[in-house]
Amino acid sequence: MVQKTGETMQAPPIRPILDTHGSDFEVAKMLLRESLRTAAPQATIAALSIMAPTACLELLCDPVHAIAAAFSNADLSTLIQTAIRSFDGDPAKLRRIASVLAKRYSETLTGEAAQDVIGALGAELDPAEDAAFESIARRFPHHPGLLRAAIKIADTQGDDARLDELLTRLGAADGTPGTVAFIHRFRQRRQAPRPADVRIAVVSSFTVNQLVPYVDLACRKLNLSPDFYISPFNSWTRDFVDEGSGLRRFLPDIVFLAVSIDDLAPQLTRSLTLEELEAAGATALERVVNVAASFRTWSQAPLVVHSFHSAFVGPLGVLDDGADVSRAAWLARLNARLAESLRALPLCYLLDVGGTTSRAGGLRDNAKLRHLASMRLPPEALPGLADAYVRYIVPVKGLTKKCVVLDLDNTLWGGIIGEGSKDEILLGHTSPGSEFVEFQEFLRSLSARGILLALNSKNNPDDALEAIRTHEAMVLRETDFSAIRINWKPKPENMISIAEELNIGVESLVFVDDNPDEREQMRQLLPQVLTVDLPKDPALYRSVLEGLPELQTLAVTAEDRSRVEQYRTTRLREQAKLTVGGVGEYLRSLEIHVAIELASKQNAVRVAQLFARTNQFNVTTRRYDMADVGRFLEDSQRRLFVLSSRDRFGAHGLVALALVRIGSISWEIDSFIMSCRVIGYGIEGALLAHLSQQAHAAGVRDLIGEFIETKKNAPANDLYARHGFREVDARGEVHRWQLSLRTPIPFPAWIKVDAP
Amino acid sequence: MIPEAVLTRVFGCDPNDVNDTTSPDTLAEWDSLGHITLLIELESTYGVSFSPEETLAMNSVAAVKRALQAHDVQW
Repeated sequence: MVQKTGETMQAPPIRPILDTHGSDFEVAKMLLRESLRTAAPQATIAALSIMAPTACLELLCDPVHAIAAAFSNADLSTLIQTAIRSFDGDPAKLRRIASVLAKRYSETLTGEAAQDVIGALGAELDPAEDAAFESIARRFPHHPGLLRAAIKIADTQGDDARLDELLTRLGAADGTPGTVAFIHRFRQRRQAPRPADVRIAVVSSFTVNQLVPYVDLACRKLNLSPDFYISPFNSWTRDFVDEGSGLRRFLPDIVFLAVSIDDLAPQLTRSLTLEELEAAGATALERVVNVAASFRTWSQAPLVVHSFHSAFVGPLGVLDDGADVSRAAWLARLNARLAESLRALPLCYLLDVGGTTSRAGGLRDNAKLRHLASMRLPPEALPGLADAYVRYIVPVKGLTKKCVVLDLDNTLWGGIIGEGSKDEILLGHTSPGSEFVEFQEFLRSLSARGILLALNSKNNPDDALEAIRTHEAMVLRETDFSAIRINWKPKPENMISIAEELNIGVESLVFVDDNPDEREQMRQLLPQVLTVDLPKDPALYRSVLEGLPELQTLAVTAEDRSRVEQYRTTRLREQAKLTVGGVGEYLRSLEIHVAIELASKQNAVRVAQLFARTNQFNVTTRRYDMADVGRFLEDSQRRLFVLSSRDRFGAHGLVALALVRIGSISWEIDSFIMSCRVIGYGIEGALLAHLSQQAHAAGVRDLIGEFIETKKNAPANDLYARHGFREVDARGEVHRWQLSLRTPIPFPAWIKVDAP
Repeated sequence: MIPEAVLTRVFGCDPNDVNDTTSPDTLAEWDSLGHITLLIELESTYGVSFSPEETLAMNSVAAVKRALQAHDVQW
């Protein structure tokens, strides 16, 4: 401090000189030259930039005076910033100056100074200025001010795709309410560059307009383009119940219901007896469950209901937490009953918004905004809540990934495994090492959602496998991985071969690796793969994957839960194929059993899943949803057959279905679907044989099959030809096949029938 | 940050279009929803808390400045 004062003292006395001469260019130049000889040029020029900004800026533009060289980049930037902000002359002149500065200092300016320079340039740039701005923007990809400038420029140039990307980046860089609202409004104002691909309704008893911009942003980060419906004030019940309500006309893909217990029970602000509390809770619960049930009568979209939270604590102060009238305990009971009621309705979910009246935390609203704007959610909770919404939206849009592919060194354990160095890796019950155990526990739990694990690692396979098999702290063992690639090949190459082995698309894979170079290579070569940015600290690995929307599922069937086991047994089967001679002998050796029955409510979810997901062995690719399946079960004109199978390695689960329209002369196969897991076992022949025998027994003359060609269903294209059907018609992609039922199709000899 | 800059950040308008007379009548983005966002941003930028009366009285940039001055805010 003392030294700084001393330096300033040595600088020429600017004020008297300027007072005498005005902010004349020659004087300024003289002063600058003079000041460069003193010990404190910065102080002089800083003062000058305020008092004579034009002269100062012109000097910095002047190629003759290499003044910039006397400054550090930071000082030069401060100088330019101060001068631009103090400038009060002709705007056209400032623009000319800014143009020179942008071009000359594009590699040296700080982000803040660059923002001011670009601001002075405006939104219309010539090519040279554009290039200068590009090089500045490259250095500061996350600078909010520069991103806003870039948005203005892209808007002026009408570059919609770039604008879209910039707006999303700005939201990631600056998540303040002002900026997020700005981004949302900007998108609404412009013509949407592409049609909405997800229709989101938010129905609420309070103001949620502040939340929607955050949900919009979170969707855009996943490259989804949402359209929103917000229920009008005070009409959340009518929106569900009334025919022709705004919500009904909107045809939502997903609905979020945010009802505040404080709106439903205004008496909560007062002191209440236990009876009064219970009565208020029962009424609130009934109202919410009633609209959920009403919604189920007219929409198949998922409904996500906020848990109840309250802004008001009980009358007893600190004693309240343990009291019988404790608001926290009452809310917890109420939310448990809400969860139970919603579980009983298909596709209805409870979203725990973390709200309790607990003084120790939880979701407290902002009292001022509650009174002023009927907001029941505090602004700081909105980004997290939007992320929670997206975790429901991703599975609705079918964006859930199927397999997490992992690196080993510094991803599943700390350190690098080498020959005989198993005991040196960091993995165990104390840190460092406990972080990796915790991460592995989470990965293992993903099998409960039906998500597979695989390894893609550059190691000596013997060393790595020894650690996986024998290290006592390993949670994940060899059998937990559905595919293993431990070698020195490029990881993208391994990725493709993993996808092939698991019979899934590369776009269904998530790649987790601590090495930024590997991640970059994966992004470059296989952009379809979701490459996760792991933080440096392994303690954070788990929470990053826990929060990943792409690993969320909304319906977990028995097949999902056992998928990991199924892929493991598939590996055993493939090995058996190699050791047994001849395909026929191999099939017999599998000891395949099938059980065929009519579909029922118990397996409707799995049936709907097969309709929704199966692309390959699917003859007509008609996508029926839960509601359609429900109707088929009731329909006397249709029969929906389902087949479950097992072999000596394990159960496959419910893997095939056939939907048949029954007539008195012929039965028509509307849909015939088989999971790709069991392609090649002849199981489709068993189901088709069963159909023909049933039709024959019913006295029907013909069985009609239809094949509608798609890009993906080649595996099913010879289904009817292989079983004696005759092609009777072909128009475009649609082929009709017919089988006379004088003799029904025989059952495959290698398949045995179980009682269902 | 000057109060005008908070407005341009929240409403995305051109800095040259903002002056003391700027108000909800002259700026389309400054609607009731925008007013709440502006309030949240002003409070977090300057570390103040406005009373309901002050919030309602902030019907122009000049009025915003008056309210900030009443809280001894410098910019």
